[in-house]
Amino acid sequence: MAADTIDTGGAALSAEERHLLDAFMADNRLFYGPDPAIMRNHRLAPRTAAEEAVLAAGLDANRINLVRGRLSSALEESFTMIEQTGVAPGAKWGDLVSSIFTAAGDLSQIGPRGIVGFATVSHYPVQFIAKYWIDDPTVGVRDGDAFIHNDSRYGNIHNTDQSMIMPVFHAGELVCWVATTIHEGECGAIEPGGMPSIAETKFDEGLKMCPFRCAENFQLKRDLVNFLQNSVRDPKLQLFDMKVKLHASNRLRERVLAVIREFGRDYLVATLRKTLEDTEAEVRRRIAEMPDGTCRIDTYIDSSLREHILAKWPLTVTVKGEKMIWDLRGACPELTNRSINTTLASLKTSLVSNLLVYVWPDLPPNQGVFSPIEVLTDRSSLLDCSDDAPNAMSLIPLFRALSTPSVLLAKFLYCMPKRYTAISASHYNQPATFVYGGLTQHYEITGNFCADINGNGSGGREDNDGEHGLSPTFGAYCDTGEYELAEEELPYLRIVAQKLTTDRTGFGKHRGGMGYEQIVTVKNSAGFGFMTGQCGAKHPSANGLFGGYACPAYPLAKIKDINIFEVMKRTPEQVKHGIAEYMNDPSIAGGRYLMQDAALNFEICQEGEIYMICQGSGGGYGDVLEREPWRVMQDIDEKLLTRDCAERVYHVRFDPRTGAVDEAATAAAREAERAARRARGVPFDEFCARWIADGPDPALPYFGSWGDNRGPVIAQPPGGARRVMPADGVTGVTIGNPRERRIAELEAENAALKARLAAS
Amino acid sequence: MKRVAVDIGGTFTDCFVAWGERYVQAKALTTHHNLAAGFNEALALAVAELGITTRELLGAVDSVRYSTTLGTNALIERKGPRIGLIVTAGFDSVVPLSRGRGYGDGLSFQAQHDIPRAQRPEPLVPIPLIRPLRERVGYDGDVLLALDEEDVRRQLRDLVDQGAETLVVLLANSVVNPEHELRVREIFLEEYPGWFLGAVPMLLSHQVAGRKGEYGRAMSTIIDGFLHQAMYHGLGSLELSLRDNGYRLPMLINHNSGGMAQLNSTDALQTVHSGPVAGIAASEHLARGGGIGHVIATDMGGTSFDIGIVTADGERHYDFNPIIDRWLVSIPMVHLVTLGAGGGSIASWDALLQRVRIGPESAGSDPGPACYGRGGRAPTVTDADLQLGYLDPANYAQGRIRLDARRGERALRGALGAPLGLDALGIAKVIRETVDHQMADGIATELRARGYTPEEFTLLAYGGNGPLHCCGIANALGITRVLAPPFSSVFSALGAGNVNQLHIHEKSTYTVLFHTGRKQVLTDFTQLNATIAELKQRGIDDLRRQGIAPAAVRHRVEFDMRYGNQRAETAVTYDIERFDGVHDALGLMAAFHRRYGERFGAGSQATEAGVRINTVRVSSFIEVGKVDFGRIDPPAARRPVTPLASRACHFVGHVAPLETRLYDERALAAGSFVDGPAIVTAAATTYLIEPGWRFHAAAHGAVWFTRDGATED
Repeated sequence: MAADTIDTGGAALSAEERHLLDAFMADNRLFYGPDPAIMRNHRLAPRTAAEEAVLAAGLDANRINLVRGRLSSALEESFTMIEQTGVAPGAKWGDLVSSIFTAAGDLSQIGPRGIVGFATVSHYPVQFIAKYWIDDPTVGVRDGDAFIHNDSRYGNIHNTDQSMIMPVFHAGELVCWVATTIHEGECGAIEPGGMPSIAETKFDEGLKMCPFRCAENFQLKRDLVNFLQNSVRDPKLQLFDMKVKLHASNRLRERVLAVIREFGRDYLVATLRKTLEDTEAEVRRRIAEMPDGTCRIDTYIDSSLREHILAKWPLTVTVKGEKMIWDLRGACPELTNRSINTTLASLKTSLVSNLLVYVWPDLPPNQGVFSPIEVLTDRSSLLDCSDDAPNAMSLIPLFRALSTPSVLLAKFLYCMPKRYTAISASHYNQPATFVYGGLTQHYEITGNFCADINGNGSGGREDNDGEHGLSPTFGAYCDTGEYELAEEELPYLRIVAQKLTTDRTGFGKHRGGMGYEQIVTVKNSAGFGFMTGQCGAKHPSANGLFGGYACPAYPLAKIKDINIFEVMKRTPEQVKHGIAEYMNDPSIAGGRYLMQDAALNFEICQEGEIYMICQGSGGGYGDVLEREPWRVMQDIDEKLLTRDCAERVYHVRFDPRTGAVDEAATAAAREAERAARRARGVPFDEFCARWIADGPDPALPYFGSWGDNRGPVIAQPPGGARRVMPADGVTGVTIGNPRERRIAELEAENAALKARLAAS
Repeated sequence: MKRVAVDIGGTFTDCFVAWGERYVQAKALTTHHNLAAGFNEALALAVAELGITTRELLGAVDSVRYSTTLGTNALIERKGPRIGLIVTAGFDSVVPLSRGRGYGDGLSFQAQHDIPRAQRPEPLVPIPLIRPLRERVGYDGDVLLALDEEDVRRQLRDLVDQGAETLVVLLANSVVNPEHELRVREIFLEEYPGWFLGAVPMLLSHQVAGRKGEYGRAMSTIIDGFLHQAMYHGLGSLELSLRDNGYRLPMLINHNSGGMAQLNSTDALQTVHSGPVAGIAASEHLARGGGIGHVIATDMGGTSFDIGIVTADGERHYDFNPIIDRWLVSIPMVHLVTLGAGGGSIASWDALLQRVRIGPESAGSDPGPACYGRGGRAPTVTDADLQLGYLDPANYAQGRIRLDARRGERALRGALGAPLGLDALGIAKVIRETVDHQMADGIATELRARGYTPEEFTLLAYGGNGPLHCCGIANALGITRVLAPPFSSVFSALGAGNVNQLHIHEKSTYTVLFHTGRKQVLTDFTQLNATIAELKQRGIDDLRRQGIAPAAVRHRVEFDMRYGNQRAETAVTYDIERFDGVHDALGLMAAFHRRYGERFGAGSQATEAGVRINTVRVSSFIEVGKVDFGRIDPPAARRPVTPLASRACHFVGHVAPLETRLYDERALAAGSFVDGPAIVTAAATTYLIEPGWRFHAAAHGAVWFTRDGATED
């Protein structure tokens, strides 16, 4: 039901009655919630009358291009301002954007740098403001106003991103909007850092700013700022970055007005609209270029961040003519008390980011890119959750959306004569970084995340290996930063800052780019801790392509109840610089060596305790037996691969003393492996008969459809009863509290022991 | 004043000689196999013009100064020693991973966005030559894990056995406590004493770059080590050649910091890009000497467009983490931006946005623009300029290249005729307008991001295509005054002759001036003053090594300041060398507040979030005599010049062709005054005076362009 309609109990209404009821509703509205008419629509808005008029006027295309250049310069200027002056780590390391919207609220252009995902999600709050606040007598939109927003239910990637939105008026007419967005981090949630993994309701997520005016006459309203500061752990960050965004937005606004002075209002309006329409037309052309067909892929999320689960994330892409349908039905149902749900709008943002980063990086990032694509989802599923579901860690399904479609689209694109970029296996797709919070050595309270999120390994490519720790899966040219600077500000110490790992890549003819280990401890703080919001400890998350291996699984390890600084002083030989080195030699006295799910709910790290994670590798491309032996040997030289792995996985034979490849023996070993593969093979029907089951093993905490994506959806919560829902009737599923489950388990054990004692 | 200044570029060796009141310029082809040969040839041309011998010249000059692209070329060609890198254990992959973003450093936005095709450059240090060392120093200098000296010896031996020809040591937080880096060198010298044949140089990171940030510091040190031998041999052979020709003083080398030093006080890294930076130094010299005010220095050549900023307030605009080739480094380098737009930039059709796109691809000089007739088929900016009538086909590049207008026209029509629906002239106008606006947008972004507006600036246009496009660029920026500088064809060499001997030392600090939580303003300045004093002393030592008395040394102290934990790179110059009381702290915060507000907008400051100093930087220098041009402002006299001829030329914004007067080099005589539209074809460049602009020649071949309605001064 749309937010502004009334339930008439099915009674037929005349037009007059409907009008009266609408007026009544408008006068008696309780709450301006997320508007499905806005939030479920990713198409371009129809041309406004003003746009129709200027486009019909046949303006000079070359001058439109000059306007585009001016706007690009202004956006870059605004981006630089934020990057230079922002306080949030996200601002410092590239997780931000500045953007310009049409008067109707469609995003037309972002700066040459910036996170492309923002280009397809930032318009929702603008459209909300345009629809609800412009004509509201208690709000209104005036020159000099600025609106702030973060709640993803009103449009955003996730709540930790905050936007400042500003209208641009010319001669009294609202001609466009400008906005700046930063991944701010801390937002007052139940855990520090802005992405709480243990949020069980949306009220655990901290700030939930639906778009509201926070500045008038280009000045922040200090009372509102104070309220927001009061709601977060880092009031300095909140204040400062609001100023940064306000001034950067205003600078952009001034430049837009300068463009109007130079070229005229019509050229601005025409440029903003034409950029969108040209982009949309180009995407339709590129879709039409592809062969018709359907491809599908099923991937699985292996953690709810509270417990292991297997949550289905399916995608089927159908191309027919210039139509492309992305079907994500049959996914895991909404988890009503877990934070890993995503709204449909956020999901679409990530899907389009995949297109812009891995398929068509030459396209201008704007809303026109995704407009021609149809998206199908199940309501109340993990990928299209209700407004009441927590979604603070939507990154978990979103990172799949950021990496998976291009692996599937490769099957359409491989035969195409024109390449817009290289075809590649999946980029690593987990936010493999430490989120932190607590008291710093400078006596400041903070909460945020480390820039290692920007170091995902890239997938193997059709013509080369993937690159090690390259970029986040959601953007390009981001920065993992420098640890000397981070340690100066924060009370942690990197025992391992960045160290490429061994035997932990996606193998293939062209292997994935490797991830790196991060080992951290706390120093000089009475209260500081870490969390992680990632999966992939049991089920590989980055897919291989055309026979390449997926990335391996990466658990989290920690050593509690030690003080590594004491070890450094007293028994320095026990200090290691690798996860395997520590975990394979658990010799530090008193230490508890723990290995667990990749997800870590926030916990205090005592000084000298050690937490260890690994940034992941991209998937491999092509058959390992086709990998050129010199590449294998180079990997050994660079300690990316052990000799054992080279022999077992790549079937390369070499002189163990000199490392010289024995070409003939290698060819023979590979031929033998091919023969063994054939011997292991069975006819397809036989395979199906042996492999296909009626449903998941009852012991598996399985969520999603089984086999047919349009079939019933299964939910098997850990410790709970299995539910089977019809495909068109998916509803949310609640999972019990892991602590309660653990207590129940222990009580059961206790009762059993008591019973045994009593029996004996 | 008698002085020789040389800029050894990739193609030409430019020479500028000041001989009393006479100024002479000369050019010769750069001889990469032996730089001295090209230099001597250029010098021979200059002395011939002066009517003296080389020995007479070199025996009389006060200095010979070089800026050179030798280092840049060595990096491009990857010619350098095999480098072994020793790092703190756990930091093993900092260099190979290059902060993630390293794949895109030095590339265009488009290339940075193309993740599936991302490729890091061929490494200067291969992974097998990186060795971890068991040690650790904390952020505040505390030794947390003592240096394992046996481990040091083992790793050193291993690297030497692997054939490392230069060693670089990067230990975490060595800029705060260099104890471990220094001890590594001691051990190295114990193992491999310097008097052994084949001694391997070792560079310590804290001695090359003084700021925190392990990747930038590592790359600074690695590049320094990589270039050292090539620079030492190249420049050393030049110095020997000078000695053979009677020069007895130390040769001076231009730095990318905008200063210079003797060869024995020059890091190889400091010479990279020193040529273009010398051009900015020349702009600075002209601007200061001529009272021109703010200047945007632009060098438009065949393939690129360099931009530098010179402001009247005397602030020097630096990049503190510039990109050199494909690597980010940590040195203060004069801010220089390069856009991919030059005469050879290729115009192509962007079907997506239905527009003409200029560059970044370039036809370069080989095959060059289509009109060169050397096999180039893609239309370029030069083809458009020729089509519009601005270039003399028979007299281009001093007649060395004959331009073929028909080839140019075919290229324009072939690539762009159908999509634009225009004839060659129409296409040429679109290209012309697009490239001028593209360059203008690049300039505007640079200026506005620093808090300036283009209209406040004079555009300085040099390079082969600068005076040809300057009016169009200025129009797009709203700039009304353009100066084509004197000696523009050897402008960087001119700049090389006019810089101070200067050394910049910097050091990271974590100095909280205002702690907002504790409501404390810094009152104990002991550490801060000690840091300033240490950096001053290092500058004095540098200059004393070059024979300069400490009393003659001047210092400028700068602070990199930030609000809260932001990343602002706002360098604040504060006229103080020692803090005596809280008034100094408040004064510095006020100066920061002012500069920040100018740059990012009044009200954007946030002192309430706390104020911190992150870097202290001291420039130590001596003022040296400059080449005096007298005044180069527009002369009072306005001497009309008789045109040689006229021809119909086409201009953006004018449908019909305009009859355009043509002049030759004689129009460059001081006082010559020409109204646009007009063209002055000189040996080194073509001056295009667009409609609505005026040309006024000043002293030494300088030319002023002013837009109608604008005053000349």
